[in-house]
Amino acid sequence: MSGTAPGTVPGGPTPDRTGRRTGSGFGRLLVTVYGILAFAAIGRSSYELATKFTEAPVAYSLSTLSAVVYVLATVALAKGGPRWRVVAWVTVGFEAVGVLAVGAASVTSPDVFGETTVWSGFGQGYGYVPLVLPFVGLWWLWRTRPRGTRDAAPTTPEPTEPTGPLGPAAPDPEVR
Amino acid sequence: MVLPLLIVVLLACAVLAGWALWFVVQDRAVVLRQLFGAAVVEALVVVQAVVAGVLMATQDHPVDGPLFWGYVATALVVLPVAAIWAFAERTKWSSVVLAVAALTVGFLVWRLWQIWGAA
Repeated sequence: MSGTAPGTVPGGPTPDRTGRRTGSGFGRLLVTVYGILAFAAIGRSSYELATKFTEAPVAYSLSTLSAVVYVLATVALAKGGPRWRVVAWVTVGFEAVGVLAVGAASVTSPDVFGETTVWSGFGQGYGYVPLVLPFVGLWWLWRTRPRGTRDAAPTTPEPTEPTGPLGPAAPDPEVR
Repeated sequence: MVLPLLIVVLLACAVLAGWALWFVVQDRAVVLRQLFGAAVVEALVVVQAVVAGVLMATQDHPVDGPLFWGYVATALVVLPVAAIWAFAERTKWSSVVLAVAALTVGFLVWRLWQIWGAA
């Protein structure tokens, strides 16, 4: 990809063409939780691969796959450029499908996997974080999507950071 | 692992998380002093890990080694990475990140305690 994105006026104002940063504001927290889950998944899968892979190859391969996907999603959300945004959509979407599919399969026919995975029981072993996270991620990607290409007609003011309950002019209560 | 040290580590995690959450309420970002606090928590986790290592080497304590050290590695990585990541953000989400990281380390150390006693 090079040059101006389709639909934008060359030289004209290109407001928010790349969208809001996926790794800022609330995204900072999202990336953190993704990162922690990525570490947990890496730890789990390397332990399983190193000590007992042959016991349940399907489950442990799945653990490794999910670890790779979590790492990719974390990096993509943290970087947040146009291309990384695509990677984020794919990996986060994959997780949403994965946790639902593996979760459902682990409930209906537990024998398929032989052992539990990150996604077994819809992420039960991780406080259902693996179930909630991809949908929060998809919502966040949608919210921070690039604007100005299709729905450029009404120039909605850029949402500003909400000021605190005291208002913007309130002095810092803890000035030292 | 030794119980008094476990309690100290968990308390330190709780204090750091509480401090960060207090900043969230006040709509403030993480300050440098909180990073020093995170460094203290990190140091306590290191001490706990060293103590565990010494106990394992000297007392032949039966522990699932790879699992235990895997958790130690994760517990040690989370806080420094999260602290840098939090400090780069200058909104209250910075403090949310630090609180989540502190609680995660506390949870991981608790899991370490369980793994230590399970074998």
